[in-house]
Amino acid sequence: MGKAQSLKHDIVLLLMPSKGVNHKGSGAKLRRFLEICRDLGAIKIGDARLGNEYYQGGQEKMLDNVEDLAVVQAVFTDPKKVAQAIEAVKEADFGLSLVISGLFQEVRRCCAEAGVSPHTINESLGRWGRTDKLPSEEILSLNTMCGHGMVAVGLIKDVVERIKAKEMTPEQGGEELFKPCMCGIFNPDRAAELLRVLAGTDN
Amino acid sequence: MLIVQDLCIACGQCKPYCPMGAIAIDEVAQIDLDECVECGSCLRMADCPVDAIYQQELVWPRTVRSILSDPLTITEESGISGRGTEEMKTNDVTGRFKRGEVGVGIEMGRPVLGARFRDVEKAAMAMACLGVKFEKANPTTSLMSDPAAGKFKEDILDEKVLSAILEFSIDLSRLENLFDTLNKVAASIDTVFSVSLASRLEPDGSVPADAIMERIGIWHGSNGKINAGLARPMTKEE
Repeated sequence: MGKAQSLKHDIVLLLMPSKGVNHKGSGAKLRRFLEICRDLGAIKIGDARLGNEYYQGGQEKMLDNVEDLAVVQAVFTDPKKVAQAIEAVKEADFGLSLVISGLFQEVRRCCAEAGVSPHTINESLGRWGRTDKLPSEEILSLNTMCGHGMVAVGLIKDVVERIKAKEMTPEQGGEELFKPCMCGIFNPDRAAELLRVLAGTDN
Repeated sequence: MLIVQDLCIACGQCKPYCPMGAIAIDEVAQIDLDECVECGSCLRMADCPVDAIYQQELVWPRTVRSILSDPLTITEESGISGRGTEEMKTNDVTGRFKRGEVGVGIEMGRPVLGARFRDVEKAAMAMACLGVKFEKANPTTSLMSDPAAGKFKEDILDEKVLSAILEFSIDLSRLENLFDTLNKVAASIDTVFSVSLASRLEPDGSVPADAIMERIGIWHGSNGKINAGLARPMTKEE
């Protein structure tokens, strides 16, 4: 969730096998996918099976540990690089499922540029039920960047206070919020912009 | 998760990391075990200076908390981590969701609040009344004692999880029934849920469900996920 302008620069490529269909031997392909994305400008790469690069002690260790049945992703901020990455994945012919998350208009455009015809779409129909119990939209924009709910509201508020107290910059705050997102899908660059607004700082 | 009280120095480092806000600091830090969903985040992230946090052995029914809340737990049904279901992400090879129908994901407890199985059951039973069949390769389904009725095992009803996904497909012609039922569920539970709709795209790239949602006034977002259709073997379609 979030405003369109903010979401335009938050696009995620995910690659995964399907258990029992094409998962055997997928580990090497998933690792190669991450390397391709990293080389094409992904700001973060991640492995939902074993944890993000911070948790696993560095990017190289994370890459070494990628195994069959992993679900891996790469975060981009530049739509042009996304189109290049999709084309590279198509040419690599991994035979695994590629899922692109972002603004539909941007994602469709990137697919068209890469010569890829989208197969299935997943749309959000928003939040239902006791929405009165939820924190502000700004806090939710940061919390929901992690699809597994690991970026706690308490941590977001703590980081905002530390930015206000000039104990950290919004960029450092974005990296701090990235750490508990085990799959590594959290976009610290977009988070820094949101934190800048929340903390009311121009720096 | 537990904190060894004799070791804790009440530094407060662990408290912000809990997605459920289950850690309170007084003279020492204490975890409210009723609110704790065993997600593991405090242990992984807090960097406790005295190593006071530890994962106790989990026994049934508390094990369900970890299964559905700890993103690094690998579920038996699907063999994957995260929430443990492939959903639309592998639809190019599974053909789980076909043209003429939509895949529905109801993520109980997301965002932020978490969900107890009493509320998950209310939603599941309401959906079961529509005659849906819950996805078998989904860990939430595996916790049902009667999937046809949407009933869960009695001993987990008070267990809390970060989120639990109900997953099924429904014919496009029944979308209006679905939304009416979702509205009734929304009014009956004490948490939130997020709804997503998966659609196999038409040959021209259009999404038939969109026209139906626009007609009946259901909001849908301008961002989400697109499966690029690159996997093999591609599922055969009628």
